Amino acid sequence: MLLNLRRWMLAAGLGVASLGLTGPAAAQETTFVFATSEVGVSSYNPIPATLTNAAFSMIYDTLVVQDSDLSYHPSLAESWEEAPDGMAWTFHLKPGVTFHNGRPFNAATVVKWIDLFRGSENSYMIDAVASVEAVDDLTVRFVMKNPDPNLLFNLSSSFMGIPDPEAVAELGEDFGITEAIGTGPFKLESFTQGQETVLVRNDDYTWGSPLSANKGPAHIARITFREIAEDSTAYLELKSGGVDALMSIPTDYLGEIKAEPELAVAEMPGQEVFYMAINVAKDPFTDLKVRQAAALAINQKEILDNVFGGYGKEAHNFLISALPESKLPADADISYDPAKAAALLDEAGWVLGADGVRAKDGQRLSVALWTQSDSIFRRLTEVVQAELKAVGIEAKITTFDSSTIKDEFKSGNQQLAVRSYFWPNADIVDWFFSAERLGYPNTSMFNDPKAEELRVKAMTGSATQEERIANFTAYHEYVTRQFPYAPIYQPVQNMAYNIDRIEMPAEIHATQITGVVMVDVKVKE
Amino acid sequence: MITYLTRRLLLLIPVFVAVSVVIFLILHLIPGDPLDNLLRVGSSPEKRAEMSARYGLDRPLVVQYGIWLGNLLQGDLGTSIASRRPVASLIGQALPHSLLLGALALAFSTLAGVALGVAAAIWRDRWADRLIMGGVLLGSTLPSFWMGLLFILAFSVQLGWFPVSGARGWESLVLPVLTIGLGGTALVARVARVAMIDAAERDFVLLLHAKGMPPGRIRLNHVLRHAMIPVVTILSLRIGWILGGAVTVEYVFARPGLGTTLIKALSQHDYPVVQACLLMLAMAVMLGTLLGDVVQALMDPRVRREAA
Repeated sequence: MLLNLRRWMLAAGLGVASLGLTGPAAAQETTFVFATSEVGVSSYNPIPATLTNAAFSMIYDTLVVQDSDLSYHPSLAESWEEAPDGMAWTFHLKPGVTFHNGRPFNAATVVKWIDLFRGSENSYMIDAVASVEAVDDLTVRFVMKNPDPNLLFNLSSSFMGIPDPEAVAELGEDFGITEAIGTGPFKLESFTQGQETVLVRNDDYTWGSPLSANKGPAHIARITFREIAEDSTAYLELKSGGVDALMSIPTDYLGEIKAEPELAVAEMPGQEVFYMAINVAKDPFTDLKVRQAAALAINQKEILDNVFGGYGKEAHNFLISALPESKLPADADISYDPAKAAALLDEAGWVLGADGVRAKDGQRLSVALWTQSDSIFRRLTEVVQAELKAVGIEAKITTFDSSTIKDEFKSGNQQLAVRSYFWPNADIVDWFFSAERLGYPNTSMFNDPKAEELRVKAMTGSATQEERIANFTAYHEYVTRQFPYAPIYQPVQNMAYNIDRIEMPAEIHATQITGVVMVDVKVKE
Repeated sequence: MITYLTRRLLLLIPVFVAVSVVIFLILHLIPGDPLDNLLRVGSSPEKRAEMSARYGLDRPLVVQYGIWLGNLLQGDLGTSIASRRPVASLIGQALPHSLLLGALALAFSTLAGVALGVAAAIWRDRWADRLIMGGVLLGSTLPSFWMGLLFILAFSVQLGWFPVSGARGWESLVLPVLTIGLGGTALVARVARVAMIDAAERDFVLLLHAKGMPPGRIRLNHVLRHAMIPVVTILSLRIGWILGGAVTVEYVFARPGLGTTLIKALSQHDYPVVQACLLMLAMAVMLGTLLGDVVQALMDPRVRREAA
């Protein structure tokens, strides 16, 4: 009886195994898992989108694309010129480009698309554009209200992937859900919200960007993107062979993935910075010296090695190091210097007490240190706490969940807070330190007339890219010298894949895994 | 019976109103603002004010509640702030998945629970009894999130029997059903065991033995039937919890459903969606409890008489 039962179970098990694990045997088919931060897209219509994922860049092409060094390269626009005063941009479009439904892509398309963009959730990206006109069939001119050297950055973002404006009008709310018509290397076959997105190769694609080795149709014929919100589940899918690649992996998993012989990690430059916000409006941090001391207490190297296992980079100012605006004079960069931190605190009148905590006029140097409940934040914040203690600052940790903390910041009661942001553009300095957004996003409550002057100049007073870089560098430098934050760490972006199944291009010429990369990816058979 | 049912249904109305107030207040009183997740780098404070007005978030809380309840009574669950899609369609997509998962889990815990309970009763106080009850207790006390990951490790990664996650085909249902069903199994097994032991000691069983009926037939035809009354009661009370159990398990197994929808919406502070999900869960419990009471009344003439 028992033996029979066992045989029966074994047979059932084998039956299940053969059903469950018949992977994609057909040619060039693969399954990827979206980055956990990209889970939950509700539609593939980029115009009103509030969240996009990697598949947007595979369905839709943009006018320009960004390389991993953040430089701009042609995509649907073959070339472009900016007027010397910055008041107009002319884009020359690639000939012979068609949408997935066969309609041609031309200057009239761009005009109609920008019209649709106005009044949408994302219209601020073209706030500086007064009008768009078709010069001829393949030439389009953006006439500006004011110079905006950041136009190329906006045009390269996944929100500005170009859909067929006529299909958008015809399908209305269904556009992006039942159908999504772009000019990209893949077509949307099906989309099940919260579950999976299936793309098939666009066999007519011959307009690959110079950043891709392959200018023609993609190698992959069919790709399924799954949405898995839980990191450990996604990792187990990869490990068991259920999927071929994960588009994001937490740093905690890197060691484990590198130990598996069939798994590999592809690294891309990071777009994220961890930092500690210092509230300049709250004592004792109203004193510049105390702020500087707190910033100099952070040991970037120790954190990189011990908290992040050596993966990633130290951060010494507010911006990711791929940005030209991150190149500050050496003395403006903030680096670990406990001796100087101690000297500054002495100067400010905070005397070291017997318990290792400084005090001034009977007041202990004890502050609140806020953080998010995510495990990486908790671990990092404990190290920061110990480093502050080492120079005589006692920090008491309060933990909030990631959406609650934003509301708490609006109270302005924070003193120190460990935070991170993900953004590959210098205008993030404006976002987090502008006097217009005190509380949140300006968690440092930074409000300085000189900084505001530099900020306005950087945001609206630059005619060319060079001027914008110079203006933002000056603004970034000024803010940094006021110590409203302490830089900590820059992660790298990682994707993990199965080397028995997937061949990634040797170098990734994009800021993330986009259509530009995917046309070069091969499935091993 | 009819009066009993009518009274019970009418009683649901104040409960429903109270639940709706609690759900609404809890959500709006915990800190967090859906707009923080919607507005991206570069958007202006004016844009924020405009969006706040569009979603009615700038109105007083009482007014917001009134509007919500008013729409709710007309069958309008509102529009998701994060995705701008009708909440009803989001719930409509998610609910069948959770119901299927919950129903299968309930069926599993019934069958496995009764079988294990009966077995434990037959081998009462022997090693098999202790093994079964110990195992069942352990299985029910472990958190389902962790259990789910353990099952994935064992049955998917090591043995390769079932897919790790997802919602493709029946084989992807096995592990989630097992994970949710374990808690119910323990409950049913405990109740079934006690009921079997209790029933076996009744006088009518002694009489059947005295009449010379084979022990196997006594157990199956008489003891088991008698013991099923408390089991059915406990099961019908559990119907309401079917959906609740699915929440974390759906997340671990990356399955669509009310749980995944709820967790995503919570992290985005998408009030209309969270409110609708919580309301569904609360209604399931309310209706499940009602159903449990009705079933009990139908089965037990004493309750039936009292109810009438």
